[in-house]
Amino acid sequence: MRAVTSAEEDLADVNRVLAGEVQAFEGIVRRWQGPLVNMAWRYCRDRGRAEEMAQEAFIRAWRGLAGWRRESSFSTWLFALAANVFRTELARIPTVDVPLEDVAEPAGPALQFHGLAKQQSDDRVRRAVLALPPRYREAVLLYYFHEMDVAQAARTMKLPEGTVKARLARGRDLLKKRFPHLNEESAPAMGPAIGPEKEAM
Amino acid sequence: MKPKTNSEKTFGAIDEILAIEDELIPSSGFLAATMERVREEAVTPKPIPFPWLRALPGIVLVAVVLGWCGFELVRAISTVARGNSAATLQAFSPALVHWPVANAHLQDVGWVAMALGIALFSWLLSRRLAGGSGLL
Repeated sequence: MRAVTSAEEDLADVNRVLAGEVQAFEGIVRRWQGPLVNMAWRYCRDRGRAEEMAQEAFIRAWRGLAGWRRESSFSTWLFALAANVFRTELARIPTVDVPLEDVAEPAGPALQFHGLAKQQSDDRVRRAVLALPPRYREAVLLYYFHEMDVAQAARTMKLPEGTVKARLARGRDLLKKRFPHLNEESAPAMGPAIGPEKEAM
Repeated sequence: MKPKTNSEKTFGAIDEILAIEDELIPSSGFLAATMERVREEAVTPKPIPFPWLRALPGIVLVAVVLGWCGFELVRAISTVARGNSAATLQAFSPALVHWPVANAHLQDVGWVAMALGIALFSWLLSRRLAGGSGLL
């Protein structure tokens, strides 16, 4: 998805917008609406709110377009700006106020409903990320959003890679402690349940 | 998903769950709604920056007046503190009793003159700031 996004197209659209052509911003929104909505979704797990937050990020990008110094790629600048917007939004109105300890651990699934139970169990783990302390939560969210690329997550957070790695490790340790069954499960057993989702990526 | 190096700690199941998610497709109206907001932003005039240069004389004046008030307050407090010892002196010398009254009248005149001066100055300043708008 992001691989096909052309940096040249972004640059051309930015130049046109800065020259006064408002309509050129549509190209930017068209190319980046998917990534930004998905990123926002990971922050809040609420579709409606994710779109609102993504829209707000685009508006901020519009306002601050002249501030992009072109030292980094447009996508890096946009993701960092969006992360800042999402962080602020969630600080204003938190999504989850349940402590990590209170997140229910899934019970062992009945065999006939294994697929559905697995899906629900995975969803609980994903939602548990939102219950992590904010500093660990964002590192975990962005690391997986950026397809497990620490460097890119660090650029989005505007933090050194080492800091992000440390926060990421701590966040994942907390999740592991909360969901000990994940340590026992073997990765191949999870294959069939997540296969179709993988296709969707 | 990028391949992991041997040095990276593996979190097998957690990685599997968190890395792979259904992709959310933005709703059909998202692009149009966002562009609508962008167009609104584009036609909205930029906020007028605060005229610091023009406001500078007023700010300086306020600072001076506040500083002077502070100075007067400190002086008044010290006068009251000294008053206790002066009261003892007045009990022995009645001629001194009338001196503070006359002094107080002079101080009142000073206050009135200063208030009038400030009012006049602020009126002139506001005329200058409003310029040729014809408001004043």
